[in-house]
Amino acid sequence: MSLLDYFMIALRVSFSAFIPLCFVAVCVWMERRGAGYFQDRSGPNRANICGFRAAGLVQNLSDGIKLAFKEDMISDHIKHKFFFVIAPVIVFFTAVVSFAVVPYADTLILGDSSYLMQGIPVDLGILWFLALAGFSVYGIILAGWSSSNKYGILGGLRSAAQVISYEIPMGLALVSLLVVYGTVNLNEIAQFQGKLLFGFIPMWGAILQPLSMIIFIIAAFAECNRTPFDLAEGESEIVAGFHVEYSAMKFAVFFLGEYVAMFASSAIIITLFFGGYQVPFLSTDSLIRYAKPIAFLLMITLPLFMYFFAGWIRRSNISHYPRENDPRVFEATIYIKCFWGLIVLLELILLVILFCESGGSAAAIFVALLQVCTFLLKVTMMIFVYIWVRWTIPRFRYDQLQKLGWQVLLPLALLNIFITSAVVVALS
Amino acid sequence: MAEKIKLFVNGVEVEVEAKKNLIDAISAVGIEIPHLCYHPALGADGNCRMCLVGIEDGRPPLVPACKTPAREGMKVLLDAEHIKKIQHDVMELELINHPIDCPVCDQAGECKLQDYYMSYDQKESRMTVPQVTKGKKLDFGSGVIHDQERCVVCGRCVRFCRQITKTGELGAINRSDDTRINIFPGRPLNNRYALNVVDLCPVGAMTSSDFRFKQRVWFLKKAPGICHGCAKGCNITIDHNRQKYEDDIIYRFRPLLNKQVNGYFICDEGRLSYKQENDGRLIEARLSTQPRSIDEILTASTKEIDRAEKIVISLSPNCSLEQMITIKALSEKLGATLTGYSEGYIKQDDGDDFLIQDDKSANRAGLQLLEIDNSRDTFTGAIREADLLINFNNNLLLSFAEKEISKLLKGTKVITVTSHDTPFTTMADMAIPVASFSEYAGTVVNSDNILQSFGKAITKNIDLDDISGIAARLGSPLQTPGERFAALQQIISALNGFEPDNIPAEGLKLKESEAANVTA
Amino acid sequence: MSATVKTIERKGSSLREKLYLIEIAKGMATTFGHLFRNLKDNRKLYVRHYPEVQPEIPARWRGRQRLTTHEDGTVKCVACFMCQTNCPANCIMIEAGERLDGKAEKMPVKFNIDLLECIYCGYCVEACPLDAIRMDTGIFSVTDNNRDSFVLGLKELLATPGAYSEEEYKKGGA
Repeated sequence: MSLLDYFMIALRVSFSAFIPLCFVAVCVWMERRGAGYFQDRSGPNRANICGFRAAGLVQNLSDGIKLAFKEDMISDHIKHKFFFVIAPVIVFFTAVVSFAVVPYADTLILGDSSYLMQGIPVDLGILWFLALAGFSVYGIILAGWSSSNKYGILGGLRSAAQVISYEIPMGLALVSLLVVYGTVNLNEIAQFQGKLLFGFIPMWGAILQPLSMIIFIIAAFAECNRTPFDLAEGESEIVAGFHVEYSAMKFAVFFLGEYVAMFASSAIIITLFFGGYQVPFLSTDSLIRYAKPIAFLLMITLPLFMYFFAGWIRRSNISHYPRENDPRVFEATIYIKCFWGLIVLLELILLVILFCESGGSAAAIFVALLQVCTFLLKVTMMIFVYIWVRWTIPRFRYDQLQKLGWQVLLPLALLNIFITSAVVVALS
Repeated sequence: MAEKIKLFVNGVEVEVEAKKNLIDAISAVGIEIPHLCYHPALGADGNCRMCLVGIEDGRPPLVPACKTPAREGMKVLLDAEHIKKIQHDVMELELINHPIDCPVCDQAGECKLQDYYMSYDQKESRMTVPQVTKGKKLDFGSGVIHDQERCVVCGRCVRFCRQITKTGELGAINRSDDTRINIFPGRPLNNRYALNVVDLCPVGAMTSSDFRFKQRVWFLKKAPGICHGCAKGCNITIDHNRQKYEDDIIYRFRPLLNKQVNGYFICDEGRLSYKQENDGRLIEARLSTQPRSIDEILTASTKEIDRAEKIVISLSPNCSLEQMITIKALSEKLGATLTGYSEGYIKQDDGDDFLIQDDKSANRAGLQLLEIDNSRDTFTGAIREADLLINFNNNLLLSFAEKEISKLLKGTKVITVTSHDTPFTTMADMAIPVASFSEYAGTVVNSDNILQSFGKAITKNIDLDDISGIAARLGSPLQTPGERFAALQQIISALNGFEPDNIPAEGLKLKESEAANVTA
Repeated sequence: MSATVKTIERKGSSLREKLYLIEIAKGMATTFGHLFRNLKDNRKLYVRHYPEVQPEIPARWRGRQRLTTHEDGTVKCVACFMCQTNCPANCIMIEAGERLDGKAEKMPVKFNIDLLECIYCGYCVEACPLDAIRMDTGIFSVTDNNRDSFVLGLKELLATPGAYSEEEYKKGGA
């Protein structure tokens, strides 16, 4: 193996490992500011470093520091200390690892060698995700049981029953999807979705299998223990459920695990139903062919976008009460300058693309980067949907949850399989 | 049983005791006739007019109930309109010149004027002329402070000084709305029962300088008890309160009615003896002067007892009968010499013919009842040979001079079990703290051979064991209160048929044979 | 007596509502509308920018307690214990003593209010026969970092002035 091979392995693995973790900060920020704006409040906007609040991101930092330095205590009544400690690790680990099979760009071809752009290049694909998603609930059950706390055990039990009820529709929804795609490999699934239906519609899973998409998204919400399926936590009835006895870093790891799981399941959802890393209407081949015009187009649109973005920052980042020499105006100016700097950097990179030979390695890397950006943008939008749903729909009652899983989603998923199979058989 | 008669109150037939006035007779069946000047101990005066009632037998429409003896078939009217009106009018008259300074008045909460205002008046004052101003905060001596404005001139205090103490320091001067109670110039209250006027005063005119502003009365919890100040064994009400975050503290002693023993009164000395229950207490066990845990000292004491060859056990004449019998059982088990020698507790010629006794201990009669040796010779003789003295709350410094006792105790280890931190406690090698009389239940026999029992009134934050508990832990065979009482019943026949908690409140008069035992 | 019967229409029984997804979409559209509105112009948020912008406290607001004084600055309280007697949280601890300046017979030597126990019910103000305790300081936020400083003594209670004029306070219903 060449040095480049080693470098690419390191790059891919670190991308798969660190991007979800970095996105936790973004998720939490989106969740809290988003919740604020959904509810006509402002959300956390006070924590700052030298007056710079980074739109509230500094609050995450301070919360992180707080959690890291809090006393990490285990109550005396907890008998199984090993399981108690291992539980958050399981939740966190499975969440991170389940992302490893998701491709975030098309196979990168550099000269003679090609590189699969996913953390663990295995063919298991979606099966790997299903297996690990099922495994993560062990962490929650273990946490609830080892807490020796009635609320904890209730949370754990709810979570266990919920996962059983929603794994089945989830799996069955996938069956019909896989019948269409004819593969379980996620990269192949993403490549499949790069094609166009009737020449003008992207052949996304969402268009081919809308029912499957709805069932899968609902089940994925349930799997992530997010509202409206967060009965395992249910702070209004069982305090905090499975993590009621957890504090400091152990709680933080649960917290991280929850958001990483949200990121991973968003990634799976967009890979399965929204074309994965594919730029709409532009397959990898056409992207490489038209690399230069696309770069040129981006060079024009980026400053234009930045101009309006700068205007929005200037409008939004001001104090809403009379204040002499509003420091937030200065703050906004600095932000705008930083963003302009970033834009200038991007313009330079795009300029390099323009002057490189077309169809070469540079174009391939450019396309890969473009696809990574597309992928992250789509994931961010899916995460936004998670947050959006959370601040819109109230929590289910437990019987409603079970009824939805067994009496609605399961028959629908089965029906979907029959119809899909019939159509696929008829068409072939 | 007293003779019973039947009469009618508001048309309802009630059975009351004969040969009593209407107030006492009817209040015994739970119907109250308001009165300010009448007091059972002082007799009827008839000056306040608050107790006016109607009697339907051709008499004038209003008669004072305090001056009217109850008769068979009497028809007493209490709720007629004209009775209510006269009660209201009397209240209005009393309140014309009353300053209504209840917020600063110590009597508020147990004030008859307040109570009757709420029950019989509840009207705004109609007066527009300025109130008559009189003397405030006059020091009458003996710790009595008088406020002439609050006074309703019922004369109870004046009659108390004339009839009960026969000293006559107080008198009413001037006339009509200028009438006031005062002392003769330069001759303040000077008797040993003076503070009883504070209790007698139905309003807040007489206050005690000792209790003044210490606590509002409605916060106080009341518990019955027996005064341990002298051999009379007066019945008292222990008013105590536990303030937030603090210990349970006694604020005052008040007399409790017991016609057999002390009647309605107690002496000032006994009244103020509550301070000894709060202050100067020993709360931690000591090894010479070092504080130690009680368990540690008890273990050390048991070792000393095992080691010692000749033991003397001395006990205080203030101990209850239960404690005495437990200690007696302990001394018999250890083969020790038991002595109750406590001559220092007797103050010659201090007593009077009313309540105060020479003997300042509560249960000396009990010592004799249980045949515990009392003589000086036995004590000094035994102590010279002994190598260990266990002293149960007997302050030997009262009976001996300090030099004398330290000479006597040379070479003798001293374990003292005591409630108070006295100079004698510091002389001891080991000290164990115990509950004082307000903190345990027991029975005592007074100088008139009346056996009285009292309950535990106070529970301190550190709830100390009492003497019998400590004696039991030192090895006395009488381990439980039941065993102790059973042992007492064998000696005192009067106790047969009683349980510790149902001994009559007025006490048991001991029989002649037992009384003979006492005097022997 | 005849009972009035009001029939309440049961919502959510039509097919469209039972499908649930449409209703969810409607709900999500509503919340998104709020988000969009606030993102576009965040001045429309229903938020008071505390602590820079302080709320307006009406005269009837029950804030931290204070003890009122006579015109010459001496305490009005006569230590009648009415507030302590009425306090449902038992947070008032008074010690009374003799007063020698002739204004009254009695005055508080110690007057402690434990603000950590106080529930701000205002019974003490109601009970006071002399208008000696009031909750008109306008202080609604009591913060510190040790427990002892939450126990206010006579000095602190007397030092705080009222936040309103006498007329305003009286208009508040006192």
